[in-house]
Amino acid sequence: MRFVFNRLEDIFAAVITAGIGIFIILEAGNYRMGTLTSMGPGYFPTILGWSMVVLAALMLITSRVTGAPQMAGRDQLRGMLFVAAAFGAFALTIERFGMIPSITLSVLLASLANERTKPLVGLILGLVTAIVCALIFRLGLGLQIKAF
Amino acid sequence: MDTLFSNIALGLTVAVSLSGLFYCFLGVFLGTLVGVLPGIGIMATLAMLMPITFHLEPTLALIMLGGIYYGASYGGSTASILMNLPGTATSAVTGLDGYPMAQQGRAGQALFMTAIASFVGSIFGVILLAGFSVPLSRVALRFGPHEYVALMLLGLIAASVIGSGRSLRSLVSVSLGLALGLIGLDLNSGVARFTFGQTVLFDGLPLVAVAIGLFGLPEIIASAGRKEIPRVHEGKIRLREMLPTREDWKRSIMPMARGSGIGGFFGALPGTGGLVATFVSYAVERRVSKHPEEFGNGAIEGVAAPEAANNSAVQAAFIPTLSLGIPGDPVMAIMLGVMMVHGIIPGPTVIQDSPDLFWGLVVSFVIGNLMLLVLNLPLVGMWVRILKIPYNLLFPVIVAFTCIGIYSVNYQVVDVFVLLGFGFLGLGMRALNFEVAPLLLGFVLGPMIEEYFRRALIVSRGDIGSFADRPIAASILAITFAILVWAVVSRLVSAGKKSRAKEADANG
Repeated sequence: MRFVFNRLEDIFAAVITAGIGIFIILEAGNYRMGTLTSMGPGYFPTILGWSMVVLAALMLITSRVTGAPQMAGRDQLRGMLFVAAAFGAFALTIERFGMIPSITLSVLLASLANERTKPLVGLILGLVTAIVCALIFRLGLGLQIKAF
Repeated sequence: MDTLFSNIALGLTVAVSLSGLFYCFLGVFLGTLVGVLPGIGIMATLAMLMPITFHLEPTLALIMLGGIYYGASYGGSTASILMNLPGTATSAVTGLDGYPMAQQGRAGQALFMTAIASFVGSIFGVILLAGFSVPLSRVALRFGPHEYVALMLLGLIAASVIGSGRSLRSLVSVSLGLALGLIGLDLNSGVARFTFGQTVLFDGLPLVAVAIGLFGLPEIIASAGRKEIPRVHEGKIRLREMLPTREDWKRSIMPMARGSGIGGFFGALPGTGGLVATFVSYAVERRVSKHPEEFGNGAIEGVAAPEAANNSAVQAAFIPTLSLGIPGDPVMAIMLGVMMVHGIIPGPTVIQDSPDLFWGLVVSFVIGNLMLLVLNLPLVGMWVRILKIPYNLLFPVIVAFTCIGIYSVNYQVVDVFVLLGFGFLGLGMRALNFEVAPLLLGFVLGPMIEEYFRRALIVSRGDIGSFADRPIAASILAITFAILVWAVVSRLVSAGKKSRAKEADANG
């Protein structure tokens, strides 16, 4: 058990790699293989899938002692959550509400990723950024994104 | 000789046009601006600024992208010297001696020498580019699909194995990239592969979203939560106080020359590029130096040589990209991707068919580097002030610009989600110590390598042995195979040794 635990990171990486490889092989099985002379759409993916399985096996054989994989710290987790939310919020609101509300919201969310930024500061930053963006991209460059 | 002059004249008409100058300037300016931000590397800068160039005509788009690229590498070293917060590994080497110089109050001299060394290296690289690309493309015109498959394999494998401590993982990254590149309609059969019924995926994954996701998002997230920002060691940064002493000059000239040569050599090779060039040139300088003990404590050679090497490599990397259509590193993969988006098929015919594009680009590199010299010497104070903007207020704005940038490429909301997905993929890969750069290289080359492989086998009627019958293809494949075997064997040997030692440690 200790053998596995000491090499957890490499083993984990190898298992994922093998999983992706097998998935590619299975999915490629749905396409015509063809022959070497006239390769079908399934040929190249199958080669790729198998090479990933082989690489995974090599990784497993040569797995090194690394200790347990490092977990992300609290700051990182917070950053990840809010930055992802910012992009998601932009994607969900841009077409319905336009640039100014959408950018304000996404900048506000992104700024909350850092503990030091107060929500009010984020909101003001968001509004300013949104207005500047609308001026640059809508008026200046004439992109086809509505402001409201 | 006549043709060289007429070619340069042709390049001048393209690069010195009003729009040529404007987009060149815009490129180097924005490249430096984003590159100087701590923690944002060259790839992230390039990926985030790429959408702007999509609305330009191809020559201008490449001029601007080129400008962003070498602008970002100038900017990266500024952050590295003043704050020891390099965005990329290449500028980390500059920081080894640049940051100690800044701590000793010699930031000005370090920045000045960086700018000069970068300029010298760049110009040397451009001369190589102008001299070697045309003959190389003539040779390459005779290449068939076999040679292309071999060259692409060499590029992919060299890029993942050389200079990477974990070559198996990099090979996995390349394979994953190749597989992701297959998503979409198969050109030959019209079958939709790996699309899972999603019609938006029929055209394949959007390059911009993939690149920003892999490179930009993890860098934004990594620095988003950062609470403390290192102090900026600026010292006196006005042009007069920045001037290096006579001693500085004397000590820097030879390192710059050696760095340029080393950079030009490694830059032109597939798969090595700036990173290997900077490390090698730093190591060479330390070895030939009369006072090696000063390295790491503010030796000016340690700033001049890697900078010259890096920038020389940056320019030389364009040689295989433009003359063969084969990118040596992920940055060049992006360049190639952009060419394809604009409908240019990369390869030796580009130089023959559109000399205005090639020579316009070459001349614009010289002009862009001159602009950078001005932007970085008299105006360096401006970048220092940007470094002082509180980062927690800066990055939400970067997020906003990135959102608009990615959305403006296709006006597709899906692209934003693809970006997010690849952002998490990039984070996951980093957590497990996979490099993401080989993935991007595989992603761009995937469809091309499949197509050439298919063609090679059609031409030779399915005979896989035909690769061995062609001397050029066979020797390239032999080199590739040797690199591969060396990587796997050295890994097997060291894994056994180190693990036994460490396990004894961990259990003892």
